[in-house]
Amino acid sequence: MLKIILRHVSLLILTLFILSFFSFSLAYLFPGDPLVNLTGIRDSSEQGYAILAKQYAMQGSFLSQYWEYVNHLFSGNWGLSFSSGLPLAEEISRSLAASVELSAYALIVSFVVGLPLGFLAGLRHHKLTDFALLTTSVIGYSIPVFWAALIAILIFSIQLGWFPLSGRISLLYDVPYQTGFILIDILLSDLPDKEFAFKDALRHLVLPSVSIAIVTCTIVMRITRRSVVEVMSSEYIQAAYARGLSPRQVFLRHGVKNALIPILPLLVMQFTTLLTNAMIVETIFSWPGIGNGLIQAIYQRDFPAIRAGMLAVSALVLTFTITIDMVIQIFDPAGRRPENATS
Amino acid sequence: MSLLDIKNLTLEIDSQSGWIKALDKINLVINEGQIHALVGESGSGKSIIVKAIVGAISDRWRITADRMTWRGQDLLKMSVRERRKIIRSDISVIFQNPKSSLDPIVTLGDQLKEVILATRLEKGMFWNRAKARKKYASELLHRVGIKDHEVYMRSLPHQIPNDVCQKFMIAMALASQPKLVIADDPTRGMEITDKSQILKLLSRVNKVRKLSILFVSHDLLAISSMADHMTVLYCGQTVESGRMSQLRKRALHPYTKALLESAPSFRTDLAPKSPLSSLGGTIPSFQHLPIGCRLGPRCPRARRECVKVPEVRRIHEHTYSCHFPLHRDQK
Repeated sequence: MLKIILRHVSLLILTLFILSFFSFSLAYLFPGDPLVNLTGIRDSSEQGYAILAKQYAMQGSFLSQYWEYVNHLFSGNWGLSFSSGLPLAEEISRSLAASVELSAYALIVSFVVGLPLGFLAGLRHHKLTDFALLTTSVIGYSIPVFWAALIAILIFSIQLGWFPLSGRISLLYDVPYQTGFILIDILLSDLPDKEFAFKDALRHLVLPSVSIAIVTCTIVMRITRRSVVEVMSSEYIQAAYARGLSPRQVFLRHGVKNALIPILPLLVMQFTTLLTNAMIVETIFSWPGIGNGLIQAIYQRDFPAIRAGMLAVSALVLTFTITIDMVIQIFDPAGRRPENATS
Repeated sequence: MSLLDIKNLTLEIDSQSGWIKALDKINLVINEGQIHALVGESGSGKSIIVKAIVGAISDRWRITADRMTWRGQDLLKMSVRERRKIIRSDISVIFQNPKSSLDPIVTLGDQLKEVILATRLEKGMFWNRAKARKKYASELLHRVGIKDHEVYMRSLPHQIPNDVCQKFMIAMALASQPKLVIADDPTRGMEITDKSQILKLLSRVNKVRKLSILFVSHDLLAISSMADHMTVLYCGQTVESGRMSQLRKRALHPYTKALLESAPSFRTDLAPKSPLSSLGGTIPSFQHLPIGCRLGPRCPRARRECVKVPEVRRIHEHTYSCHFPLHRDQK
């Protein structure tokens, strides 16, 4: 177990290191002078330029600059955003939380819908139910996320008017920032009309999370179905039938767990796909998340924001993936342990 | 009365090239207290028979039989539920691969306890049930020769050696105190010491408990030491069936003879370094079955008549299906 932890932690550190190096070199990879890119000050005098260069430790070698950069990263000084002038660390942590919140709800939705459907399709393998579900899943899988989001807006918020068009919560409510997750923040806050605020936030959540969940839901369903089919045709299931257990007993005692264990990591890994999709959908719904933030930053050539935002997103995805992988390897009862901390 | 009586069992499998007769008019009779061996090459349909008996049947199979009864009750006509009930209490199966026939993530103890019927336990209030169940399980394990039952009951299948796994399977098979145990090649891939242990265990159970065993294997040596009766199977057809001693003394079907001759230990007259006999060719795949007697293309005695399926003929207890049985020459 210690070996597994060590392996994963070393993998994580190494990858994060490479990531940070890449994000550092972004400043040089952007078109133009790196110092101008980072500060946003275009036409400074020679003197001013020298001061700035000193501030940004530009006179040292490439490596010493990197060292400086990492130090700043760790001390929480991620630079300032051009567009708002606010420190990036705070801005990114806020928008990242909004993105994570959105993806988390979408993940929950796709699990709640996808898992049972997958089990149903798997148990009715090669029957009408199975084919119907598969067809639906192909359709769901093939719909582009942004298109689905736009259509959802057209139908449900413009034509029917059931859900709000964009944003996270109505402007009427001013929820104080605590955790970054709006639903939790509302519950923690002492707003006079908490209940309405909560309902309003939920209504804002529905369309974006559902439109992200469509794709993931089909993926979850297909993975589950495949696994259920495989497990139910395996020898120990046949053996359990031959021992005279009823189909229900066989399925509940031996089928479910065995079908879920190999796919749980795959399913949880969908979170990263989900986050990517969420970043697209955010721009459509003007959700104040990291995707929306990054796109705005790109439009406005806000180089420090791009740099920090990318680092934050990729670090989050990486940490999440590696941690899940580690946890699963530690707790897999059948001891299926791949040799390397890869994948 | 016979326990299991199967007459003309035909099992067809749906494949891309239409329905294939994987089993073609199989006959099998098992009496009480008997060890009945079912012998055949791999691919001759032994395991399919086992599956057909216990009802672990795929949707793509079609089963027809003139008769398939368990102690007089028709297995084919009864509902799935009734059949399951019989299998749960009267028939047990020991599978080929103990490791893959056990659920990989449930402890062995739980799997063993799962098959113990509540009716087999001593009467008690429900809070005593778990304890009684555990006691019964550990007794079972002692009986099959597992001493550290505490350790093994807590283990998962991948953590213990293969032969212990197989003993667990046997314990599970005996748990319901069945009338018939179907041992589907129980010693496959085992070391010789483990193998003889398991075989001894099975024959002891047979003697002590008057338990019938259907022993499916291609290990002739093991079979001849245990079984009273033998049914030889080739490619989904019953070739010959009868008392073990009789079959060994005088096999009537060319395939049985070839099978027995292929095992050097049965040949007392075999000179050193003489070539071992075997039939030419290999068993045909289910996609390319010959018509008539399926041994036809490989049979040394095949003639034109062999394209028709031979009738089952009977001499006392000894049945065979061949147009040109071996005893004809000897007359």
